Amino acid sequence: MIEVRLFATFREKRDKVYFLEQKDFKNAGEIIDYFRIPREEVAILLINGVYSPIDTSVKDGDILALFPPVGGG
Amino acid sequence: MPYFPQWEVADLRYERQLLIPQIGQEGQEKLEKAKVTVIGAGGLGSPVLTYLVSAGVGKIQIVDCDVVSESNLNRQFLHHTGDVGRPKVLSAQEKLVSLNPDVALSTVNKRLNQENIEECIIGSDVVVDCVDNIETRVMVASACIQLNIPLVEGGVLGFYGYVIDIGRDYPCLSCLGYDKAKQKTPVPVLGVTAGVIGCMQANECIKLLLGIGEPLYGRMLNYDGLSGTWEEVKVEKAKNCAVHKNAETGKNGEFYWNGGK
Repeated sequence: MIEVRLFATFREKRDKVYFLEQKDFKNAGEIIDYFRIPREEVAILLINGVYSPIDTSVKDGDILALFPPVGGG
Repeated sequence: MPYFPQWEVADLRYERQLLIPQIGQEGQEKLEKAKVTVIGAGGLGSPVLTYLVSAGVGKIQIVDCDVVSESNLNRQFLHHTGDVGRPKVLSAQEKLVSLNPDVALSTVNKRLNQENIEECIIGSDVVVDCVDNIETRVMVASACIQLNIPLVEGGVLGFYGYVIDIGRDYPCLSCLGYDKAKQKTPVPVLGVTAGVIGCMQANECIKLLLGIGEPLYGRMLNYDGLSGTWEEVKVEKAKNCAVHKNAETGKNGEFYWNGGK
């Protein structure tokens, strides 16, 4: 399973955490598409706490974290 | 005019924090000898500045090039209705001096850029980033890593926010790929969200100055005001981070800045 943690406004109309089947997704980009999040809205994509480009392949046990820009002050 | 000996006021002023075992007289003296630069005197800057001043941090530099506008007033509590149109640094300084005249407050009413950022922050023990855009955040983080000054970073959006400490041995925003992000403006912000995150930033700053507790280095702490939850995400330095690569150590172990080459 792949754990996907959504943060900030990505939680609107979605849950905070999802568990997905690894075989259904080639890479992180496809997971973002699955949630119908426009790719350009993703400010931070972490796989196991590490910055990863959007085409990074995903493997079983990976934990993804997705953030929009949370840049207000 | 009644006479209040300064030493009596000082003893009472910090009485409650002197009782905290992690602070005490020794910690208080450390705070009084410290210098902190706070970049941004707005939504995050208001709680950060207020709590650092009230705790008695000796020298605080307030950096902000903006003037107070009406749309600031839902969250930037250092600025009041009558301050609209005034430079934020002056409006903030006035309230903070009244709160605690012991603190040496200086102001920098300038926009930060690559040319002036180093001279602005050099000599600071900690920098607290309270700005409202990603570009300035990246520039501040870059300068702090290059000068080896701990940085407390935070951001807010609506009911959400995060706080993290940044340092040379720990991930920065560029490590997280955040430097490429585009933020739509105006950014929706509820006052209390900025209050929560700014308070966490002030807390981190005090921990770093005193060397106590567990700083949020490599730990992005995320706040969700709607569900009332906090979640920590452990983050790692990126191997190819341009910001960390630009910070080099000289032959004798001294630090020098290669000008970003």
